[in-house]
Amino acid sequence: MASELLSITISVAILATVLVALFSKKVSVSLIALFWTSTLLGVVFTMYGNALVGLMQIVTFSGAVSVLFLTVILMTGESKLDIGATRLTIAVVAGALVLVALALTQVSSGLVGLSPSEYTDVSLATFSFLWQFRPWDLLILVTVFASAMVTVANLFSRET
Amino acid sequence: MVADQIVFMSTGILLVFLGIASISYSKNLIKTVMSFQVVLLGANLALFSSGLNGSLSTVAGTRLTTDSFVFLSVLVGAAVEAVGLAIVVNVYRKYGTLNPSEIRKLRH
Repeated sequence: MASELLSITISVAILATVLVALFSKKVSVSLIALFWTSTLLGVVFTMYGNALVGLMQIVTFSGAVSVLFLTVILMTGESKLDIGATRLTIAVVAGALVLVALALTQVSSGLVGLSPSEYTDVSLATFSFLWQFRPWDLLILVTVFASAMVTVANLFSRET
Repeated sequence: MVADQIVFMSTGILLVFLGIASISYSKNLIKTVMSFQVVLLGANLALFSSGLNGSLSTVAGTRLTTDSFVFLSVLVGAAVEAVGLAIVVNVYRKYGTLNPSEIRKLRH
């Protein structure tokens, strides 16, 4: 039941960010929403058993492709480079909520996908050992991405 | 797990249709590329969720078929988007606008 609730919540969040990305008038707002869509999709891939695909999704789409979009938007001057203080606050609050959620995940145990897989091969024991530090890895990763997100929002909030 | 599969499969298919609809009426080439990314993300989510029913063979928790295709799709999709954005920049330099209908008028 908890698993289904979690999947429905993440799906609703993905749909909400996609709708904002597609129907927003400002390209800069669309870019930020698309960033969160890609990150949420990476979280889904990671939670449901494939951390490699999830991390690759986050690194390529949330990282590289978002920077490419940002460069193109700045080159073409399509954005007015002003998302306002309200949206900056929303970005900061959203990042803080993600951090709190991951911290709660770290404290609790037995949530879906955040437990090591069953390894039958002895040679895979290293991965089982590394998995113990997986929540901390995720926490550091999301901290870095939240910082990058606030930086991008700060960049948009300045007139150049 | 089957309920999760249905939820994510539905979300993925919805994303694909939303992206295609947005491509068809978009007035900005950057938004068109963003819509293409939404289609790609939806397709990846649907493909990933198709392997969630546990009937596929796994190695160290990785489903061999679907996850490999999603991995390949992520990398190829990122490359395609990079090329698309490069084309957008070239179009803007040549025509001075990103509106497809204006570009069509300027061509004639």
